[in-house]
Amino acid sequence: MSAIIEFSHVTVSVPDKIILSEVSFTLNAGEKAVLCGKSGSGKSTVLKTLLGLLPLQGGAIYFQGKPLDVLAMAAIRRHTAYIGQEPVLGAETVRAALLLPFQFKAHRGHKPTDTQLKDVLAQLQLSADILEQDSSRISGGEKQRIALARGLLLGKSLYLLDEVTSALDDESKQAVFAVFAQPSLTVLSVAHDPDWIACCTRVLQLEDGRLLEDSLHEHA
Amino acid sequence: MNTLDIAPPQMAVLYGLCLLPWLALWLIGLRLSRDILIGIVRMSLQLALVGFYLKTLFSLDDPWLNALWIFVMLVVADLSILQRAGLKARFFALSTLVAITFSTLFATFYLVVLVIQPEYFYDARYLVPLAGMVLGNCQQGNVIALERFYSALRSNELEYQTFLLLGATRWEAARPYYRIAVQAAISPTLANMATMGLVSLPGMMTGQILGGSEPWLAVKYQIAIMIGIFASTTLACIINLKLSMRMAFNAYDVLRREVFAKG
Repeated sequence: MSAIIEFSHVTVSVPDKIILSEVSFTLNAGEKAVLCGKSGSGKSTVLKTLLGLLPLQGGAIYFQGKPLDVLAMAAIRRHTAYIGQEPVLGAETVRAALLLPFQFKAHRGHKPTDTQLKDVLAQLQLSADILEQDSSRISGGEKQRIALARGLLLGKSLYLLDEVTSALDDESKQAVFAVFAQPSLTVLSVAHDPDWIACCTRVLQLEDGRLLEDSLHEHA
Repeated sequence: MNTLDIAPPQMAVLYGLCLLPWLALWLIGLRLSRDILIGIVRMSLQLALVGFYLKTLFSLDDPWLNALWIFVMLVVADLSILQRAGLKARFFALSTLVAITFSTLFATFYLVVLVIQPEYFYDARYLVPLAGMVLGNCQQGNVIALERFYSALRSNELEYQTFLLLGATRWEAARPYYRIAVQAAISPTLANMATMGLVSLPGMMTGQILGGSEPWLAVKYQIAIMIGIFASTTLACIINLKLSMRMAFNAYDVLRREVFAKG
């Protein structure tokens, strides 16, 4: 397997506080990894640092073998979908939210058809009726799945998921698990949900910004 | 028609007009004596200085001195815009100076050279007051534009970052806030133009009429200055925000916290 992401002695801090300290791990293509630990242990910081949203104070991050710089960051963002606990949909209706990225130069000309929209929604246990709904009036779980659907429509291969099943019922969770079981998709997630953790192939345990344990998950 | 002078005793009577509002404020429990006094003294001293330097500029009428004075006005406006917008001058002083200099000079020279056409274009009597009026309004617009743009980016940072992660360029991700900021900045000028003459008589026109001009001539100058203000404010805001973005983000297009004057 080829390494997609490598964290090498990564340290991130804010004034007066170290959030990540000397964190090192490698994530290979197709792996489904989960970052576990108490609140404030630095799990979400790992995802944000990878996306360039927080600066490194030490160490290095490699994406597909290349050190993080402006070009590598563009590549990361091109391949990656980030879905937070409360995703921002950024448009009035669900349909507009799904089509939003296709207004940008990077995806112009790849606008999905109505059938493709409905297929992706069906994969995530969402009805096609949701397309015309006001995006501010849908539930948190629906918002998370719409954000996931947007990543799938963009053909992203790396998914950074922050508590993505926190607002989902069992049926919806199963649908999300099924989607991410695809070998072509690589997942680096943050979760407290035991069901999600059980579905992952790798568990990275963080405590106070340090990586305590990096283990393969037998149940996956 | 000669304008009647206001003699020193009448000037003293003029300040007496403030006594009644001061008393009314005091009676309703607002103790603003200090603020009122500072306001009146500052206004009087600043205008006395303006009178002194305008008289000097007009009498010398030297193109380099006129240019130097306009440059001083631009620098003061530049720093004042950034201070009022809550942004640090070391990041934005150059971009703001470039934007307001270009737009103020463009609008002022357009008015002087193509519209008013004095004997020589650097005539201080036209150049300095027109540049001052254009710049004064341009300054208000740029404060609004910068403040709105960066506060919108800050309060919608998650949305901005979502756009970036969905493939938007920095410009594509910031454009919604950019449009809102430019619209907010030019709205007062547009509203002012739409109600001009109906709601109030503009200051420049009133000044010209009191100064002895024919009302029709004053009206034409007022139209000229309003169009100059609209053009310079709009251009300055559009250019300023665009240029400022070069300093406001890091290499990964994340908004830099250190550009804000407070936290």
